[in-house]
Amino acid sequence: MSQDIIAPMQRTKSRTSLRGLVPWVVFAAVLLLLPVFFQGNSTAFTLLNVIGINIVFALSYNMLLGQGGMLSFGHAVFFGLGSYAAMHAMIAIDEASYAGEGFWAHVPVLGMPLVGMIAGGLVALVLGWPFCRRAGTAFAMITLGLGEMVAAAGQMFPSLFGGEAGIYGNRMVGPQWFGLELAQSSDVYWFIAFWTFAGVFAMWAFTRTPLGRMSNAVRDNPDRLQFIGYPPRNVRFMIFIAAGSFGGLAGGMAAVNYEIITPEALGLIPSGLALLMAAVGGLGVFYGPIVGAVVVTLMNSMLSDYTDASILYVGLVFLAIVMFAPRGLGGGIEQVRVAWRDGDLGRRLPGWLSGALAVGLIIVGLVVLIELAFQATHGSDEFAHVFGVDFDAAGPWGWLTVVVLLVAGGLIKRATNKLREDQA
Amino acid sequence: MLKAVFKLFAVSLCLLSGLARAAEAEPVRFALIDPLTGPMSVVGQPALAQLQFTAERLNKEGGMDGHPIEIVGYDNKINPQESLVQLQKAIDDGIRYIIQGNGSSVGSALLSAINKHNQRNPDDRVLYLNYAAIEPSFTNERCSFWHFRFDAHVDMKMNMLTDWIAENPDFKKVFLINQDYSFGHTVSESAMRMLKEKRPDIEIVGNTFHPLGKVKDFSPYISKIKSSGADVVITGNWGQDINLLIKSAAEYGVDVPFLTYYGSTPGTITQVGDKGVDRVYLIAEYHGDFTDPEIAERQVALYKEKGWDYYPRVAAMLEMMKAAGDKAGSIEPLAVAKTLEGLEYDAAAGHLTMRAEDHQLQMPLYLSVLKDNMKHGAEGTDYNFHQIARFDADQATLPTTCRMRRPD
Repeated sequence: MSQDIIAPMQRTKSRTSLRGLVPWVVFAAVLLLLPVFFQGNSTAFTLLNVIGINIVFALSYNMLLGQGGMLSFGHAVFFGLGSYAAMHAMIAIDEASYAGEGFWAHVPVLGMPLVGMIAGGLVALVLGWPFCRRAGTAFAMITLGLGEMVAAAGQMFPSLFGGEAGIYGNRMVGPQWFGLELAQSSDVYWFIAFWTFAGVFAMWAFTRTPLGRMSNAVRDNPDRLQFIGYPPRNVRFMIFIAAGSFGGLAGGMAAVNYEIITPEALGLIPSGLALLMAAVGGLGVFYGPIVGAVVVTLMNSMLSDYTDASILYVGLVFLAIVMFAPRGLGGGIEQVRVAWRDGDLGRRLPGWLSGALAVGLIIVGLVVLIELAFQATHGSDEFAHVFGVDFDAAGPWGWLTVVVLLVAGGLIKRATNKLREDQA
Repeated sequence: MLKAVFKLFAVSLCLLSGLARAAEAEPVRFALIDPLTGPMSVVGQPALAQLQFTAERLNKEGGMDGHPIEIVGYDNKINPQESLVQLQKAIDDGIRYIIQGNGSSVGSALLSAINKHNQRNPDDRVLYLNYAAIEPSFTNERCSFWHFRFDAHVDMKMNMLTDWIAENPDFKKVFLINQDYSFGHTVSESAMRMLKEKRPDIEIVGNTFHPLGKVKDFSPYISKIKSSGADVVITGNWGQDINLLIKSAAEYGVDVPFLTYYGSTPGTITQVGDKGVDRVYLIAEYHGDFTDPEIAERQVALYKEKGWDYYPRVAAMLEMMKAAGDKAGSIEPLAVAKTLEGLEYDAAAGHLTMRAEDHQLQMPLYLSVLKDNMKHGAEGTDYNFHQIARFDADQATLPTTCRMRRPD
């Protein structure tokens, strides 16, 4: 019996040593090749930098929620305080490099994420113990309170947090390493790329440690964990510290990228952003939050250029994923990957494709509907513009299009369901 | 999927705007980086409407140095970090004039980012035109050659409010109620300092801070005001904090004047309505009487066209930019900035001067009070602010500690 369990485990182990490297090589190659595609496009680099920061932030959040089963509404506290620590360090470097002496004069700005990481970890160490007694609702409520408390304190101590205007620094100070001047966002990209890679790798490595395994156990069955001699509270506390550290790491990256940090970064909205990214990407897959960070960042920064209802769309995407695809976008990718590995893809692909077509049609229909409704209620110009087509909310054609799209989508969805049933 | 949709959409947009532009001279483009979606869009959208409305009129008069003015909105969701992303987008889109107003946190982020951008890209400078972030330090210790402020800062407004209080011997007890964050504290501190100088006999009977945007029931604060026997209340509250405060004061029959910075925030008049009449006082760049028939006409036209009220200082800002461009004979930011320094302009509200020393607009200020049955009501109601006092620019002026570093 025990032989049966051990044998497959050994097989996966030998496989990870070889195949396990592939995603990392791909990841590194993508990071190295991205600048080639976006040469001279500062907006793209600025967005890539934000995406990098958000990837680390979302993954650190998923250490709590996805792997440890602790729903937190206060994760931005670690991000923000890490960012503040890094910013204060950057200011110290700035001042010390004028004098040219002292400890800070020899610290490169490239190392700021480590300062953020230490700060985030320390904050979690100090605050975490009383929080980690319980998971679930109690933990969620306590972290919500923590977030609000720290955000309020941020506004009340202007000497440390800079008041509403925040504190700001300059990243072009101190010793330069690797010739990185950090003047343009394309320079900063290399800094962000390095720390994103390092952060993602370290967080993946964490899932392979005994503590990482234990965090899944505390999520799935804390009682049994207690029973075999691991107090769940200790395990949660250690996960909390680790997640806080990596949240601080992301904060340190943000300090260098934005060169400003305001108390808003500590509040509920950025904490909610972490939850949003992790949930959209998928909590159950390691790389889910990465996908989520990319999608949510792009939606946040780009969508409002095209529509006045951008916030509504972000909400709808979140809602749709929680309701219809609880495993998130990453879960979907994982499903395809598993099917491909098992040689099952050819059989299942037609069903998936027609399902995707149905969902696509329904989405387009909904988008047209929202834009028409928005235009009819408080539109600023005559037409609702959707995908380059003008729809007039006063006439019947736009609304008819919505009905046709939704009905077509619905019919294809039904046909797909039948196809899948026949296959099964 | 989403990305492909974006691409398709972007391409079509480019085509459309390209067609429209081909006929005219190269436009000069201004980016408005402000909240344009979500709950805070009520403070960004009126500025966007006003800018587009004014640009249309100025373009008929020949635009800025012959170039048509174009306004592009960038939504920052009033978040400082997001604003920096939007700033980069605007710069990449070839825009060299950045307009922003709401939130000193955003203002602070843009100020330091634009300073650094101009330092790091000396061939590609950007100007920051600030129409509402009134943190005093922006034109004092943090002053910058690239930043121009078109609104009076906190201390200038407080200076006039306290002058008005000091001249009125009936006022003996002042109550300060503010939001518990840096802006609220700035308001309270400068009120206490100036009142002490001008009228040492006035007693500050209360100095209360309440959480920002979280109080649903102001009755405990109102009963505190009532029991303190205050004759006048000063508040920097904005958004729902001013609405609920005024409503609560009306319900408890507190009839003392409430001197506000933001009693005219869009939505406030509709929500406060009758309860604010003779109670809400406003210190601002203009009043709601619209004595100037031309401005009154524009107020009517703008409300009809876009559904927002006239925003005098935003209009004046764009008019001054046109004047500076025309005078410089250029739309190049550095040349425009140099002309803008010391530029004088006669707007509806009075004579405006952009002080070269710190880039703080020197402007007259008006104290007005909410009245019913006004000829030109705000927000489609019959209420608007009626002028009760006017302060000249040289009265409202304050010295600066700015030591500006100028480009060569």
